Amino acid sequence: MNHIFRKLQVTFPQQASILNQSLCSLCRATPSIQHPVWCTAAINERQYRDMPTHGIGRWRHLLLKQAPKKKKDRNQQKELVSATDTAYGTLNVTVSGYDMTVVEHYSQYIHNFCNRLNIKVAESYALPTKSTEVLLMQEQGNKTYVDAVLKTHRRVVQLSSLNASLCPVFMDVILKNQPEGVQLSVQEQTEADYQARFKARPELEGLVAQINH
Amino acid sequence: MAAPCRKMASRSFSQLLCYFSRTAVGSGACRRFSVTSIDRATPRASTAADRATSPWSLMAAVCLQRLPVITADCSPIEQRFKQMLQQMELEKSMLSDHELRLMEDAERMSRRQADDYDSDEDLGDQEIMMTQDLEDSWEQRLKNFQPAPRVRADIDEDLTSVQRCLADSLVLLAEQQVGAEKLWLLPQAAWQEGETLRQTAERALNSVTAAGVKATFLGNAPCGVYKYKLPKAARTENSVGVKVFFFKAILADGTPGSAPTASLLWLKKSELQKYLKPAYMMNVGRFILNL
Repeated sequence: MNHIFRKLQVTFPQQASILNQSLCSLCRATPSIQHPVWCTAAINERQYRDMPTHGIGRWRHLLLKQAPKKKKDRNQQKELVSATDTAYGTLNVTVSGYDMTVVEHYSQYIHNFCNRLNIKVAESYALPTKSTEVLLMQEQGNKTYVDAVLKTHRRVVQLSSLNASLCPVFMDVILKNQPEGVQLSVQEQTEADYQARFKARPELEGLVAQINH
Repeated sequence: MAAPCRKMASRSFSQLLCYFSRTAVGSGACRRFSVTSIDRATPRASTAADRATSPWSLMAAVCLQRLPVITADCSPIEQRFKQMLQQMELEKSMLSDHELRLMEDAERMSRRQADDYDSDEDLGDQEIMMTQDLEDSWEQRLKNFQPAPRVRADIDEDLTSVQRCLADSLVLLAEQQVGAEKLWLLPQAAWQEGETLRQTAERALNSVTAAGVKATFLGNAPCGVYKYKLPKAARTENSVGVKVFFFKAILADGTPGSAPTASLLWLKKSELQKYLKPAYMMNVGRFILNL
């Protein structure tokens, strides 16, 4: 603080005495540095680089540098965890049924249950709905007519790894809480399962075939 | 215990595919299960040097459960809440296609009945089947359908039947000779050299029940352990007591064909207390879920 005071004295030698007096009158012992700013600067002006408090509110430089997220990263396949001696690998718990609310609620229940047991859930997604038309033969004639349209909904909860000692407990609770009309299936995740979720691209395949020939 | 635990840890894991479905099955009382094990490597047999001679002998038992087939009845509060929710949903919902068609038909009929009816105004061809007739035919088909009774009092009384108490989960209990007396316990068998504890449990199940019974074991890890010391008279240097490891299994949809070898009971958790010894019951009750 002293050197600033001295600088002021150097630059305004003729007013040094007056400043001194005014400073002393306004602030008792130590001269406050905010005094010049309060006098001369407007409220919105940032402080100059030489000020000791310059950049006092900066915090973003303290965070770790994050790599910029590319949009392509979102659709990458998650790593397949392989089974070890004490844990199962990546498992797919598939819930399917005709009633969408029941299927969705059951899959949400399984997901919450995994969170509670600290089982890591890798992904939770829905597979496309399959519509089945039920055709009945007419009593009088030979023609079949559409009786009903049944939609099979499927939801998948993907667990990254399941501890072998936890597995019987997990399966027991899930089976005992299974609602009616809902099928449960627990299978290992394979590459084919992941690829099956994508739509086929006929033009791309045609071009690739052309290149290969 | 040194030997079996290490064995279980070093065994390479079998990959299991399990498929469980719960659909309304008229005849069977159990859910349809199918299990395909892709790869099951044989466990490495422990050498004599690994085994520490311990005075505890090992057994494995199986806790075979039959899952509930139908939902349990709602309590009075649950029923009232369910009705209220259904009423709210009905009032908030939009009209379905069928209901819209019914309304259109009713409007058309009323237009025809009106005095100033112009038959040229009627656009489109007449439907051969009116929507109301469709609904009536559906009602008729529903009346002809006879669902199976949910509760059959006579079968519920029979403790040996696997079809009793469809709304609860049942546990299998077998009467086995332990030492000098016959006790009711979960089917168990002694562990032998060269097999895993889960295989011991499977052997216990097969020895007690008929051959047609199919069970799916829920995992390779036991869910509980019970140890008891032999009475002082029977204790020797090499055998102080017995440790029993329990494995959980679910009854698959197998038809119980021939008569079982030993006397069996299917009991709910609340009824287990009458048949099991208190210390055993306390231990077993910890892993049998009453959901």
